Amino acid sequence: MSLMYRIQHPRDALVWEGEIPLFSRYTMGIAGERFFREIMENGRLMGTRCPECDLIYVPPRLYCEQCFAHLDEWVEVPSTGQVHTYTIVHADLDGNPLEEPRILAFIHIDGTDGGLVHYLGEVDPDQVCIGMCVEAVFKDKAERKGGILDIAYFRPVG
Amino acid sequence: MGRNRVAIVGAGMTKFVRRAQETAKELAWKAASKALESCELTLDDIDAVVVDTAPDAFDGIHMNAEYLSDGAGGWGKPVIRGYVGGGTGVFAAIQGWYHVASGLFDTVLVVCEEKMSSCQPHPQGAFLTIFDHTTERPLKPNLLWIFALEMNAYMSRYGLSKKDIALVAVKNKRNAADHPAALLGDPDITVEDILNTEVLAWPVQRGDVSPISDGAVALVMCAEHVARRVTDKPVWVEGVGWSLDTAYWTNRDLSYPTYVEEAARMAYKMAGITEPRKQIHIAEPYDPFDYKELHHLEGLLLFDKGKAPEATALGITQRDGDLPVCPSGGLLGVGNPIAAAGLMKVAEIFWQLRGEAGARQVPGQPKRGVAQAWGDLMQVGTVIVLGI
Ligand SMILES: [Zn+2]
Repeated sequence: MSLMYRIQHPRDALVWEGEIPLFSRYTMGIAGERFFREIMENGRLMGTRCPECDLIYVPPRLYCEQCFAHLDEWVEVPSTGQVHTYTIVHADLDGNPLEEPRILAFIHIDGTDGGLVHYLGEVDPDQVCIGMCVEAVFKDKAERKGGILDIAYFRPVG
Repeated sequence: MGRNRVAIVGAGMTKFVRRAQETAKELAWKAASKALESCELTLDDIDAVVVDTAPDAFDGIHMNAEYLSDGAGGWGKPVIRGYVGGGTGVFAAIQGWYHVASGLFDTVLVVCEEKMSSCQPHPQGAFLTIFDHTTERPLKPNLLWIFALEMNAYMSRYGLSKKDIALVAVKNKRNAADHPAALLGDPDITVEDILNTEVLAWPVQRGDVSPISDGAVALVMCAEHVARRVTDKPVWVEGVGWSLDTAYWTNRDLSYPTYVEEAARMAYKMAGITEPRKQIHIAEPYDPFDYKELHHLEGLLLFDKGKAPEATALGITQRDGDLPVCPSGGLLGVGNPIAAAGLMKVAEIFWQLRGEAGARQVPGQPKRGVAQAWGDLMQVGTVIVLGI
């Protein structure tokens, strides 16, 4: 064991404090650009279809990962789906308790081979179950900025 | 040692651009699908995938190679990532080689991608922590320091002028004017243009430096029995080598890249090359800076120490010279999306040896070429020798 083992306070060892001063600016990509524009401008979800593999990708992709084909067949998909799995988040990144628990779910979008991870709203945590039918709640058009948060959350249907 | 013979049978690349709208995955897919198309194979023919990118911080995606692996054709396949900094692009081809040479796989897709435009405020920030955190970082170093100190050491050791070195930038940017994927090709650029660019850290000026870029490159590598079936123009991997110098850059001879010489000797021995100046017909040394091409040509034993500048001035390294060097246009002209740029050099040797380099084709039907990259903590040399 090093000397550090016996040091009572971190400041007892000489240190230099540094950081990596970076941030990132991510493009949404060729397929992502259209996906998020459709949400922002038309309030609807789109996918891309691979006719060879008979798959509909949501979020849409420019290529099929299974057969490597270029995908240019865009299809409108429902904004409804089923909760494939979920969690109820009680603590923030630092481990501090949240005032209100947040429900996070993986939603399998109906009629597609994909889905989205998003919040659930308008439902109590103890009402949520796997298999629950939900629908996307889009923000008002004026509030949409082009991004996944243009969907406010998913809520139960029926 | 029982090693199987390995060929490159296909190559593809995206344009190198300042800012790509494509995601990392989409860039990788474009290069990978072009490489497959070039040899009329499909993803079904691929047994394993090598996906390499340089620092995760550029794309801003931790585990970047794993993240973009589906774009590189890695879905449901054995996938590996390698990373040796700037040396990554050539190392990726070495990884592809040993996947096949070992007998483990017959056909391997090798994909390198870099999207430096994501990184803000400047990709250089990603390099700040390569400096020792206690002896160097308090001085607020930036990456150019290393290059400026190295370039100055090289210049003063051999009494070189800035103009001697700027000739490399001129050659490569002119060569790049013939490359359809190039970012900075310019058929009319002159030495004065380079010497008139702003000083970044003396003696490094803007014109001495390759541009940050986005792009992807891919190769298809396979065993001999597959290569014979796929193409009548296989390009064989004859030798590979890599070597690391001390991690303390203050303990290196900054005027000579010993690590490149060690990597080259390893590759030449494997390739049975005893007289590299006679047996190598074309070279793509790593040229993120103009002086580095000269440095690396000497490390590759293609010129005596301090003599690469003279050879450059005499036109020996021009596309129609005795030893064409960076006929692609290199990083200085085509661009420098780090890992992709290194693999671009391997692809260029592949195209040149097959006589498929178009307007960039060097005369005289070259039979053997070498590609080299440099990186890690500026102390790795990665070398591959290809032949027909
Ligand atoms: Zn498909």
